[in-house]
Amino acid sequence: MSRLERATAFVSKPRIRNLWTLIVIVFFLAFVITPTLFVLTYAFTNWDLIQTEVIQDPEMMSQIWTAIANSFEIAAIVTLIDILVGLPMAWILVRKKFRGKELLDTLIDMPLAVPTAALGFSAAIFWGITPADLTNPLGLKIVSSPFLLIILLHIIFSYPYMVRSLSAILEQIDQTFETAGQTLGASKLTAVRTITLPLFRAGLVTGIILCFARSLSETGGTVAALATVANTDFNTAPTLIDSLKSTPALAFTSIVLIILALVLLVVVAIVVKKLHIPFRKVWPRPEKILSRGLAPRLKDATSVLFLVFIVLIPSFFVFTFVFTSSPSTTTDWSQFGQSLVNSFLIAGVVTVIDLAMGIPLALYIAKNRSKWLPETLDILVNVPLIVPTVALGFSLKLFWTGGTPVSGPFAIFLVMLAHIAFTYPLMVRNVTGAVEEIDPTYEETARTLGAKPIQGFKRVLFPMIKASILAGAIMAFTRSLGETGATRAVSTTVLTAPNYIVNLIKLENDYYAAALACIILIIISYALMLALRYITRRRKGVS
Amino acid sequence: MPEVSLSHITMRFGKVVAVDEVDLTIADGEYVTILGPSGCGKTTLIRVVAGILEPTQGEVRINGKSMRGVPIEERDLGYVFQNIALFPHMTVKANAAYGPTVKDLPMEEREQVAKKYLEMVKLLDKMSMFPSELCGGEQQKASLARALATGAKLLLLDEPLSALDARVRVDLRYELRRIAKSLGLTVVHVTHDQEEAMSVSDRIVVMRAGGIVESGTPEQLYTRPRDVFTANFIGETNLLEGWVKQRLPGKSTIELRDNSLIEVENCDPQVGEAVVVSVRPEFVFPFTDGLLSRIEYLTYMGTYWRVSSRSQSNDMVEFDVPSIEGKLYHPGQEVYLMFNRNAAVVYPRPKEGVTEAVKLE
Ligand SMILES: Nc1ncnc2c1ncn2[C@@H]1O[C@H](COP(=O)(O)OP(=O)(O)O)[C@@H](O)[C@H]1O
Ligand SMILES: [Mg+2]
Repeated sequence: MSRLERATAFVSKPRIRNLWTLIVIVFFLAFVITPTLFVLTYAFTNWDLIQTEVIQDPEMMSQIWTAIANSFEIAAIVTLIDILVGLPMAWILVRKKFRGKELLDTLIDMPLAVPTAALGFSAAIFWGITPADLTNPLGLKIVSSPFLLIILLHIIFSYPYMVRSLSAILEQIDQTFETAGQTLGASKLTAVRTITLPLFRAGLVTGIILCFARSLSETGGTVAALATVANTDFNTAPTLIDSLKSTPALAFTSIVLIILALVLLVVVAIVVKKLHIPFRKVWPRPEKILSRGLAPRLKDATSVLFLVFIVLIPSFFVFTFVFTSSPSTTTDWSQFGQSLVNSFLIAGVVTVIDLAMGIPLALYIAKNRSKWLPETLDILVNVPLIVPTVALGFSLKLFWTGGTPVSGPFAIFLVMLAHIAFTYPLMVRNVTGAVEEIDPTYEETARTLGAKPIQGFKRVLFPMIKASILAGAIMAFTRSLGETGATRAVSTTVLTAPNYIVNLIKLENDYYAAALACIILIIISYALMLALRYITRRRKGVS
Repeated sequence: MPEVSLSHITMRFGKVVAVDEVDLTIADGEYVTILGPSGCGKTTLIRVVAGILEPTQGEVRINGKSMRGVPIEERDLGYVFQNIALFPHMTVKANAAYGPTVKDLPMEEREQVAKKYLEMVKLLDKMSMFPSELCGGEQQKASLARALATGAKLLLLDEPLSALDARVRVDLRYELRRIAKSLGLTVVHVTHDQEEAMSVSDRIVVMRAGGIVESGTPEQLYTRPRDVFTANFIGETNLLEGWVKQRLPGKSTIELRDNSLIEVENCDPQVGEAVVVSVRPEFVFPFTDGLLSRIEYLTYMGTYWRVSSRSQSNDMVEFDVPSIEGKLYHPGQEVYLMFNRNAAVVYPRPKEGVTEAVKLE
């Protein structure tokens, strides 16, 4: 027996495998779930502090409630708009055949490649009324309300998520249903409204939650946009957490945010299931008129124009900035270099840990369905996706340090842990999904042919889920690279690239350097996204 | 009074020509099946009739009215999909009431119409169930009721029975024809199952590779198919190649490849022309002389035995013998075979060869 064979035999022993599963579960609970939700315990242990410092301070309370209300209003409006403009776009992508569809498909994902801090800056100089030293002759300068500006910004990065979720559902719905409706005398619009839309329901929940959670969590872009238009008193919950100093106030805001987000998750799930899209009432004439001729064309044109003018141009508007303004001489580029190194280091370490700890958990969940523990883990894995990342970052800091300010290598270490918490679910979700699609008999066949479990995994399962693992890894990497909220909640001094950009705008007003940094970050992230698309494409092609 | 006429219908998908220059007229009240192997363009053809596809070329007329530019929902026809396509979020009754609903008829009338057709397909007791709670046959009936409830007099059926068990399939055939005739419907029924086509149709249209081969009553197509492809596709037949040796009214002689002679009643080709003779196994008999053939194997078919033998020219010749005579035959045995003279059909030998001409593609 060679050493490798002996090692294989060793790790294939049931006891060793169980031990490893145990370690992974403990890791998940101790490093992901508990720190994410730890802040909730603060309400029990330090209620008197919250009482005296927050609840009895009317000014503080009004600031917190206003910020939270802003966040939820913005998220709700953004989600609603995304659904309304996302549905026609999903239809175009899934049901229509036309030249240039590939291009449209790529364009939709473009904003995903831009880190939100860069998006915030870009959108603000496009829409917003900016201070005099930020004169960009090409900017529209029409939006003075910070509320509206943040809505416009959040639409940009949530739109691709919504369109993708809606298209994914639509692809699952057999077009024959719609056609059948038409053969029964329904106009196109009637058929869509009474047949296809009701079938959307369950899947709509995913889109809404993803979109809502993203908007609720967004920090970097919002801070950058508000700083760019020199607004100081408008806050969303994440920007408030970003600026608050008092631990009880931070804890209180985080707790409220987490609880509301979780409640919302449940409410949305229930409401959408119960929601009765009326299919007994029809308006044959108006719906017929809207089904043919000008109306559908107008609708398609609007969808494309929305994509171009509301989503794409504001995303990449930052590129015009470097041509229309002059470079500042005081920028310390070595800092930017260092921030890039830090960002990549953090994202790299986070991804490796996600891989090592995520794959075993995904396998455990996927292969032990219908037992209570894996089922529970499966639900818990989603929690960090819904908890706003600033609240997550703060909670995690509270868990590891008790809330004292951190700096230096330890701060970087904590930032890594925070990034693991919200990227870990991405990895687990990707791999679980892939494993569940595979017929388990493959691996069983390998086992009947004498393969040890670990060999079964390596030779049979791994090659089939390799692409999903890679996709999960790249997703985790890009999310970590673009994250601002969680990083700043742990420490505003940790120099990651998005953090550096936010500081340039907010503290130093060095817009030229910020724009340049944004562009470099966009290019790097875009390269990563292309790699992701290439890999997922190939996966589709193979299966 | 629906009468459907198709002229020069061609449908291309990129380079694929799915339907090629089809001309066809279907009379009011006629039950027509379009029969052909899979991939020959049947679905494409009725989708063109329904307006789901706009033909690349040609014109569909319903009741003499051109359907160019007329959307599906205004063609006033019922369509039953191959995959049934009942709306999963509605009960059977709501499904059946969908047609009246989208016409915005009053509530009571929707209900009444839905119930009338559910009763016709004997599904009234299942009307509060959801489609997923029904078995295949019931689902198909529900989808038929739904199509009928629109009040359309033209019914298009795309392989309506193919998803069902053999037994249910046979029962539903008769139901389909009974209902169509009682409502005076014009039906275009697409299928690849020749037995199904034979049992329901007034007329069968045989399709192959995007074109129509021929059409006729089931009996015509079974006994006197005009094309060797039809002879092979509908029912089973022996195809034997040879030459016309002698041609007289009511009695011609064909010399087969092993030089044996057979007599046929009708023969269109001229003396000396290369031909192929089609004769069904039930019209081949063992006799004291005729075509010498060696038995290879026997297959028990219940009411009869199918005996498969090979002639000296290496052609497979099959014939049927009654069940009780099965023990008279065994593999290796040599028999002389005779053909029923008026059941044999003679075709000019196709230029591309017989195998090619009957290939299903
Ligand atoms: N939407 C389509 N795009 C491309 N090719 C198609 C499409 N629909 C049908 N075809 C092709 O047209 C031919 C006929 O298909 P179809 O009408 O479905 O055959 P049938 O119903 O007789 O089995 C097939 O070769 C099929 O691949
Ligand atoms: Mg078909």
